[in-house]
Amino acid sequence: MPLVAVKRSIARRFLAPLCIAAATLSAFALGTHVMHAAAEPVAGPVADESAATDRVDAEPAAAPLAAIHTRFAADTDEVPDFQRHVSPLLGRLGCNGRACHGSFQGQGGFRLSLFGYDLKSDHAALTEKDTDRVLADEPKDSLILRKPTLQEDHEGDERFKADSWAYRTIHRWIAAGAKETPEDGPRLVRLAISPSEINFTKNDESVALTAVAEWSDGSREDVTPLCRFRTNDESVATVDEDGRVESKSPGNTHIVAFYDNGVTPVQIIRPVSDLVGPNYPGVATPTKIDELVVAKLRKLGIVPSDLATDAEFLRRLSLDMTGSLPTPAEVEEFLADKSAGKREKKIESLLASSAYATWWATKLCDMTGNNPRRAAEQQLGDQQSRQWYDWIHRRVRENVAYDEIVEGIALATSRAPGQSYEEYCAEMSSYYHPDKPADFSQRDSMPYFWSRARDGAKAKEKALSFSYAFLGVRLQCAECHKHPFDQWTKDDFDQFTAFFEPVTYGNSPDSRKEYQEMLKKITGDVKGGQAQRKLADAVKRGDTVPWREVFVTAAGRGNDNAKGKNNKNKNKKKGPSRRVVTPKLLGEEQGVDLVRNEDPRAALMEWMREQDNPYFAKAFVNRVWASYFNVGIIEPPDDLNLANPPSNEPLLDYLTQGFIASGYDMKWVHREIANSRTYQLSFKINETNRLDERNFSHAVLRRLPAEVAYDAVTQATASDTELVTYRENYERRAIGPASSGQRRGQSNFALQVFGKPDRLTNCDCERSAEPSLLQALFLRNDQDVLRMIDRPDGWIRQVSAELGQPERGNRTNIADAKGNNDRRAAARNVEDFRQLRREIAALEARAARLTKSGDKVQAQRIRRRVEKMKEEARTAARKTQAKPVAANDKDVAVKKDGAAKKSDKSGSDKSDIAKQPDVAAMIRSAYLRTLSRPPTAEEHERIRAHLAATGQVPGLRDLIWALLNSKEFIINH
Amino acid sequence: MTTPRYCDGLTRRDVLRAGMIGATGLTLGGYMQLEARGAIDAAASGKRAIFVNLTGGPSHQDMFDLKPDAPAEFRGEFNPIKTNVPGVEICEHLPKLAQCADKYAILRGVSHSIAAHPLGQKYLNTGNRPLPSLEYPCYGSVVSKELAGEPNLPSFVAVPNTPHAAGFLGVRYNPLQTNGTPKPGQPFSVRGITMAGGLTIDDVQRRQRLLGDLDQTFAGYEKTSDLVDGLDQFSRRAYDMLTSRQAREAFDVSREPKQLADAFGDSAFGQSCLLASRLVQSGVRFVTVTFGGWDTHNANFTKLKDKNLPEFDAGLAGLFGSLSAKGLLDSTVVFVTGEFGRTPKVNARGGRDHWARAMFCLLGGGGLKTGQVVGASDERAAMPADDAIAPEQVAATFYHALGIDFHKEYHTSSGRPITLVRDGSVIPALVS
Repeated sequence: MPLVAVKRSIARRFLAPLCIAAATLSAFALGTHVMHAAAEPVAGPVADESAATDRVDAEPAAAPLAAIHTRFAADTDEVPDFQRHVSPLLGRLGCNGRACHGSFQGQGGFRLSLFGYDLKSDHAALTEKDTDRVLADEPKDSLILRKPTLQEDHEGDERFKADSWAYRTIHRWIAAGAKETPEDGPRLVRLAISPSEINFTKNDESVALTAVAEWSDGSREDVTPLCRFRTNDESVATVDEDGRVESKSPGNTHIVAFYDNGVTPVQIIRPVSDLVGPNYPGVATPTKIDELVVAKLRKLGIVPSDLATDAEFLRRLSLDMTGSLPTPAEVEEFLADKSAGKREKKIESLLASSAYATWWATKLCDMTGNNPRRAAEQQLGDQQSRQWYDWIHRRVRENVAYDEIVEGIALATSRAPGQSYEEYCAEMSSYYHPDKPADFSQRDSMPYFWSRARDGAKAKEKALSFSYAFLGVRLQCAECHKHPFDQWTKDDFDQFTAFFEPVTYGNSPDSRKEYQEMLKKITGDVKGGQAQRKLADAVKRGDTVPWREVFVTAAGRGNDNAKGKNNKNKNKKKGPSRRVVTPKLLGEEQGVDLVRNEDPRAALMEWMREQDNPYFAKAFVNRVWASYFNVGIIEPPDDLNLANPPSNEPLLDYLTQGFIASGYDMKWVHREIANSRTYQLSFKINETNRLDERNFSHAVLRRLPAEVAYDAVTQATASDTELVTYRENYERRAIGPASSGQRRGQSNFALQVFGKPDRLTNCDCERSAEPSLLQALFLRNDQDVLRMIDRPDGWIRQVSAELGQPERGNRTNIADAKGNNDRRAAARNVEDFRQLRREIAALEARAARLTKSGDKVQAQRIRRRVEKMKEEARTAARKTQAKPVAANDKDVAVKKDGAAKKSDKSGSDKSDIAKQPDVAAMIRSAYLRTLSRPPTAEEHERIRAHLAATGQVPGLRDLIWALLNSKEFIINH
Repeated sequence: MTTPRYCDGLTRRDVLRAGMIGATGLTLGGYMQLEARGAIDAAASGKRAIFVNLTGGPSHQDMFDLKPDAPAEFRGEFNPIKTNVPGVEICEHLPKLAQCADKYAILRGVSHSIAAHPLGQKYLNTGNRPLPSLEYPCYGSVVSKELAGEPNLPSFVAVPNTPHAAGFLGVRYNPLQTNGTPKPGQPFSVRGITMAGGLTIDDVQRRQRLLGDLDQTFAGYEKTSDLVDGLDQFSRRAYDMLTSRQAREAFDVSREPKQLADAFGDSAFGQSCLLASRLVQSGVRFVTVTFGGWDTHNANFTKLKDKNLPEFDAGLAGLFGSLSAKGLLDSTVVFVTGEFGRTPKVNARGGRDHWARAMFCLLGGGGLKTGQVVGASDERAAMPADDAIAPEQVAATFYHALGIDFHKEYHTSSGRPITLVRDGSVIPALVS
């Protein structure tokens, strides 16, 4: 979810409530109060025709047929067409809205398809016998004329007058026999709206839109009165039902026109300042991205923010690109580096880091829906989820081309070409070998996308998750009805679903017998859950067990399947079935002949790789962009639909084409984005860009993602030694495999609180970035966080040892200390040495008691620990003796005052001169490890004052706590 | 310009605005505005709720829907006893609940078709049949969104935890999980609320002061960034919660009068109910108490008789008694359910298996018409005898008692409109 409330625009002009609140469709909006109009007089609105003329064919087209409201202004002999006129008119009048006859229960016994376009069933409903809806003999008595004119009670109120063109249109259609449009009739080719862009300058200016429909038979008609219009942000511009657009405030949005299955947006721009045209200040545009972004900003009168500081840049880049905070040393080094190309150099080094692959593999797992609970093999869900992650991770690390990674998933079958069932079972079992498991990530394909259980096994769900993951298209609406904002109809959805019907997870016909035999050997006669457990046990022992598999069945009616690789007997599989034999790819006219294409997914993949595919490459670059800028160029990033146009189309086109030209090199996209000045802008806003959320004129404040936040807390509280290794420690990171399968309990709570996605519902919105009360409580007072701060190998333990003020009591337990460094440091203190000896004695006594009571294992464990501690004590003793006596005495004297805070204070006071540099460095370190910047002088002073009051170690603990709870820590800025 | 109206009388504009208030944390002022507009029915007597989730599928015919005249392999081992409501009988191992049967209504013949734990749980915890494409919010999340809570307290607490959460409503409506249950006479610590690791309130106050001194980078940005504004608000609330006596005492069951406390019994469930009653008394809007161990495929009768029923009896009767004694019962809706019932026929292992065609629910308090049986199952407790009661109807009635319109429409972040309880309707016999 976006962090900031996205203005929700609504289609208020339509009589019928639109089904869906157009959430998150808006471009950025400005309140009406923000800016004054341009100083110089501007002559009316500018209608930009250039974009429209680009697309008009070279040959001069004949004038389109005049609009229907003029043709039917008086009685006429013209016969309206059901598809072209009557159906859109019903839509425009709101009859097929959700609250009216579009409801799935219908209304008053009369049901139309929601948002229309199911022409066949709508026609049938209108002309249903004995309903009096349509009476060809006596058209004026038809209910669809009497009710909307209130000649008869109508819950939906009056829709038109009896002397209106709408009335005459419907009347004429009925009188002419209420005919259906033939199914093979012309299709709508284009819905052209002019002007295609409107530039307003002040309130209440207005422009009328004209809509022309172009049909495949070459006919053209002005359909303005039959369109539905909607604004994507009514605070910027409104549109009435006749298509008149009115400026409401400065800003940028789109008006969208709908007719038949055509959806065409029109960009509305009104500058937010007078800094337009010649008044626009000089703004650096060192990269192509910057040029394209500033070109848009220039139209809007928005001046981008200044460049972010080096520290801001490093932190943001590191979080976005690698899901990790920079280490303190990294920050220091970067700030000290005075070379010109240091940002570019840093981008390269982070792209080469292991954390980049760790984090982006997780993002690809989000997209592809890697969830252990949905694994078909329930008992092995965690392992399979981990294999899924590892398979992707290897490829991200090696920077395998994106299209190849997708191919490895999209075309996956369980068996490689030519692999026998037996070989396959041996291979699968080898991934679970208890001692030396084979490396799943080396497999050519990753079939788990297709083997998801329950609903995931249905072709429909596969179509939904496939279009979500790889096309960024949400087809859910079209599963039941015409998509309210896009071109998709239920038929389009069914056509697309047909590509996935032959993909099955189970026993392929040619291996069923072998499967049963192998199974019987392992499970004997037991069934159900018991058999499952036996099987799982056998897997864990490293035995070869039978596996189900992802395979593709016969695609169509034909019998020409001789060249089948794994599915020799596929013809037996339930015959040709009711499948669509030549399903259509989304938005394509020609069906794909599945008889000749063995695996229909191959045709799909081929289509996705076409240079002009409207989704595949675009969806990916848009998602990458969104994770660097908080919003996509299309927003939400997984909702590519015609009514949701990009905020900057040339920019998206540039990145899409560049990505394809680079050979789907993912790092090209990252590099291109990160090197742009646009990405490197500060979050600090100015008067012109303060309300911009969609045009990338400044960095947007956003919360760290769940996994990143958890890792950031772990890293920020780690000792200097641990911190260095932690960042690149693949296994330990929540941003990595730890969140895909083999989930460990500890971080789960935090990840849930911070909104890690479940990867269940095919929506990027599953990942939540909103703040919550539980998050605030977690960072302030959760045992996980408090323990992390005071953990034995943590930073607080380290600094307290360095300050010669090791903590005792219940906060820290020396016996638990793991890091040798820390232990040695701690043992420097005589008091602690004694403490250690006391603890050793206590443990030895406990071990003796345990031996007596018969718990030898536990006793043995404790004795081993005691041995280690004794060794430590010996080391400490040597060190203590080596120290100058005076220093030793002083330490002891200081400590003898006890653990009370006052003594800490007096201690720090006494040793202030000696300790001062250390404390300053520690305060600096606290800042570097949390906020990735040094403290300001003022901050430093405040902290010194705090430390003076509390004592050093308690004060530093307060400090790290406060920094972890600061907004600056949890916000990526 | 016309503004389209929904059937519930709210305009789209209202709905969106309500959504936005929710998104920034509903203030009391905002709540009252909604109330004034009729989005929340202030006249409803339910102001808070306790949801008792019996996970595993409690055996309806061995608890509240006994069939003493059924053949032996169906009737089971238990006998019915009279309750304090004439004509209403329940299991002999629920004697305390029998003595307060006037305080709840027994719903029999509740029926659905999902006899698997996770999905059945989702159904009964949201009032909506689960969909693969959508995570419905659980009751507690909806209630904490719709009814403003106390600033110093979490709105929604789960004792000890629940897998059900806010779904598409967003993480801010997730429950605070106690991750443990109180033990009689011992201090109870709650994750995130109880001071951990020797921390004192002084420590927290001192740290908060330091935080306030240092956290200045985004000063002023609360006006343009909802994130900064939200973080500030939640930070203040968290601080208030940690330092307020109200929150600490709400979780401290040892403050409960001994006489009342003893009635709950020493079991984890009993103590959870005790905690729940304290929490709602302090101002928490919704408490889920989870009580597992009802999946009695084996030795159904022994398990129920020796463990589950005595604990359940004491705990729930204690809850009704305590709420009643404190005068809170009329304003607190108590909803008890599992995910399904159990097979009519006893299996070879003396157990009963999953059965969703007939189950029971209890609804108590909140001004509902209690002290009655609603619905019925057939002579073997296998199917509803007449009209089945759907989980949607129970959910709609529950929301209705809390003054929440179950027709209310939410929008998911993808803009899809979702009715709070799809296909819901209020059970007429339960409301006056």
